[in-house]
Amino acid sequence: MTIKELVKKITFIEILKGMALTFSRMLSKAVTIQYPKERRDIAPGYRGLHALAKHPTIGQAKCVGCGLCAAICPSQCIKIVREKGKVEKYEIEVLRCIYCAFCVEACPYGAIVLTENYEYSDYSREALYMTKDKLLSNWDKYMAGKKGEEYFKRFWRPMSEDFETPPTQASFRGRRDAS
Amino acid sequence: MFENLIEPSVLDALIKFGINVGIILLKIVVVLGITLLHVAYATYFERKVIGHMQVRLGPMRVGPHGLLQPIADGVKLFFKEDIIPAKADKPVFYLSPVIFMAAAMVSLSFIPFTGNFVIADVNLGLLFLFAMSGLGVYGIFMSGWSSNSKYSFIGGLRSTSQVISYEIAMGLSLVGVMMMAGSLNLSDIVKAQENSPFGIFAIPQIVGFVVFVIAAVAETNRTPFDLPEAESELVAGYFTEYSGFRFALFFLGEYIGMFIMSSICAVCFLGGWTMPWYIMKIPFLSYVPGIFWFLLKVYAFIFFYYWIRATVPRYRYDQLMAIGWKILIPVALANILITGLIKILL
Repeated sequence: MTIKELVKKITFIEILKGMALTFSRMLSKAVTIQYPKERRDIAPGYRGLHALAKHPTIGQAKCVGCGLCAAICPSQCIKIVREKGKVEKYEIEVLRCIYCAFCVEACPYGAIVLTENYEYSDYSREALYMTKDKLLSNWDKYMAGKKGEEYFKRFWRPMSEDFETPPTQASFRGRRDAS
Repeated sequence: MFENLIEPSVLDALIKFGINVGIILLKIVVVLGITLLHVAYATYFERKVIGHMQVRLGPMRVGPHGLLQPIADGVKLFFKEDIIPAKADKPVFYLSPVIFMAAAMVSLSFIPFTGNFVIADVNLGLLFLFAMSGLGVYGIFMSGWSSNSKYSFIGGLRSTSQVISYEIAMGLSLVGVMMMAGSLNLSDIVKAQENSPFGIFAIPQIVGFVVFVIAAVAETNRTPFDLPEAESELVAGYFTEYSGFRFALFFLGEYIGMFIMSSICAVCFLGGWTMPWYIMKIPFLSYVPGIFWFLLKVYAFIFFYYWIRATVPRYRYDQLMAIGWKILIPVALANILITGLIKILL
């Protein structure tokens, strides 16, 4: 043991250094966010609860029920039922969703979005099973007005601004030769 | 009324005795009340200090800045279900937290809070404090034994060997103070410090002071020497099987133990309720009551406990024993030798 090491041991220099560090940390500001009172800023393009986009002028769902979102969905949580040229059912099992936003990318009509809402915990599975009505009301709640338009302009990949849905409620009937 | 039965002189003596007992009881009530409140808020203080050292906030929800948290914790502990393991040795299981707590509580009566406020001004006060902290180990060991659980048992064994080893080092570190003060009476030790050239014994007895600080942390089973209750290995150590009120007794005992150790440190090394003459030269400081200085030193030392806990990781068990036997005891012995030589030669 050299003299330097001995001096280090006797003076507890390393422990004192550590204590100086903890003391300086004590005087610094805590990083805690007091959740219900304060909230973290949500990053733009946050992937939260789903919503079905409404046409800005007509106010109907943009969705035509083509089923591309359901096809691409890795956890297969989207269920679509078409009947007589209408989207009869459009349901998302939110508890199974992994928020990858593949459905948003796949949609050719810009009909499904992920909103910034992340506080939708509930006591039952049924409450988190999103039917078409719930998804449409989500749009009104979290994406109404300019926010919805901005969303498509900024966070749509690949970039495109032409999401023209037929003015009346349309539906995808599948390939003609298939039926 | 009593004239026929008791002579007036005896009656006078009895009344005086009664008044004395009443004063002592009053002192006990004051000390107990303040200590229990202190323990409650010492936990709050600890959580806040450690929280801020880890760049967190600590308790914030109950009351403004979490100030009512200790009261909420206390209420919770009192109303929790009291579970006793089926295979526990029941009488010993009931008895051990009481022993642990009582040993800590008794120590409180020897501590001189100010010059004229001490419940029992015993001539062997320092020795009595050692005896009581040694007695507390029985509570720990019996709880570990009677719980009939391997974690409790290992925790109890570890605690026993640790406390016994470090008690030697602590006792030896205080021998230097006894030699300098020439007394075991805690009030006399404080007065001796007031009259000494340095004002506090921590400066001439710096080696003894360092040994005492390390031994005091080990004696109260606090981090980095908290092996008896090492969470990662032993769940909670000797009180693993305790719940509710009995657990609260252990908790109280531990925090009172910390208070006692801090008080011994304040009294024996830092000058108790007095301040060194060179600090008292600052004007107006002589109007500050002694209890303020005493509590300032005690809480500074308690803060040091928390500070250490937030900084240093736990030692391995053989390292703990090596520090105790191979370093602290020889150093303390050398300190005694040098103090004695200086005392003889000067």
